[in-house]
Parts: sequence; C-alpha cells; structure tokens
Amino acid sequence: MADFEPKIVAFLCNWCAYAGADLAGVSRLQYPPSIRTVRVMCSGRVDPMFVLEAFKDGSDGVLVAG
Amino acid sequence: MTQKLFDIAGIGKERLHLAWVSSAEAQRFVEVVINATESVKAKGKFDPKTFEYELAAAEMTLSGETLRWMVGKEVKITTKGDVYGRNWDVESFETILDAVLEREYQKNLIYKAVKEGHTSVRDIHHKIGLDLKRISYLLADLEKTNKVEFTGMKDRIPVFAVL
Repeated sequence: MADFEPKIVAFLCNWCAYAGADLAGVSRLQYPPSIRTVRVMCSGRVDPMFVLEAFKDGSDGVLVAG
Repeated sequence: MTQKLFDIAGIGKERLHLAWVSSAEAQRFVEVVINATESVKAKGKFDPKTFEYELAAAEMTLSGETLRWMVGKEVKITTKGDVYGRNWDVESFETILDAVLEREYQKNLIYKAVKEGHTSVRDIHHKIGLDLKRISYLLADLEKTNKVEFTGMKDRIPVFAVL
C-alpha cells in the first residue's frame, strides 16, 4: 500500500492551531491532505472520549493541536 | 495518559498526536501535520472491528471514576499532600497512576469478555490473552465491586456473569 493516505481527525484550537492552519492555507504551504479538521474553542475541551470515538468510527489517527 | 493506554491496548501511541502550534506558526503547523501523517502511515490502516474489545475497555477505563478522580486530584496531592498528610512527588504519583491505568484497563477488558459470553477463566484467557492468574485475581476484584458474579460450577469449571 504505497499510496495509502491515512485519515487523521485533527482537533484544532480556534485561537492557536486553527489560525495556524488558516495561515498555512493563506500562505499556500503544502501539506498532506490526510487531516479532517474539527474546530474546538480550546484544546482543553477535547475529552479522551472524543479520541476514542474517532477511532471507533474508523479514523487511522488523531491529532490534537493547541 | 491516553497515549499510554493506547500502548497498553496495543493500538499504539503513534496514532495519537498532541502538539502546540501558535497562530503565527503556519510552517510549524505544516511540520506537525506531516509528522503525524508519516507516523500514522507507518502504522498502517486502523480497523476498529479488530480492536472492538480494546476500544470498549479503553472507553470504560477513561470514563471510569477511578482514573478521573486520580487525574483530577494529581496537582493537589503532589503539591499539598494527600488526606493522610503524606507528601507525594510527581514521579511516584505517576507510577501509581500508570499501575492503576493498566489494572483498570485489564479489569474492563475482562468485564467486556464476560459480558460477551466468555464466562470461564480459560475462555477469557483465550479471548483476551491475559495471564490466567491475573484474570482470576482481577475477577475477584470485579466480584468485590459488584461488577461480576460467580454463578456456580459447570463441569468443574467456575462460571461468571456480569451484573
């Protein structure tokens, strides 16, 4: 599986990483299309349950960025 | 802690990433995403069906009272001491936390196995691969907390059921 593209659920903090991701888009930086973004108001809002739920629903990985 | 649990459960902590990115660091964000993608790619596809038991046990463990209390009390206990006036350093507290995490996880794994109809110790062992002695020991613990009950013998094999 050379062209396997993992599905990663990314929990991004509205004020930090989400803005960072936005800036990455605006400045046309290239990054893998593997992440599915979930915007949260703070990365402290992310409960371990959310992570498990993501895995249960078939994601390959989870990224929490704040 | 969830990463540690994923390692115990055999899911692999490489699947869970935690990173701090400020809003001005687009380049850093790109690096983080590339890193996460690479390490998840190295682990390959994740099939929730093969990890059904592990995920269920992990969920019970992380939502369970024991660990929530321990994590919530960590700062208080390591800075002000516990109710008996003993002082704990962070390291020894975390050692205990890790042990509790593993124990709770194994207990929940057994609970799940019994619930799904694996009622004898040997049957549970075949399903979840845990050591026979450890299973008996933890079953006794589950009995004490009224999670599991001993329902009798069947062909000289003790049979358990969930409550």
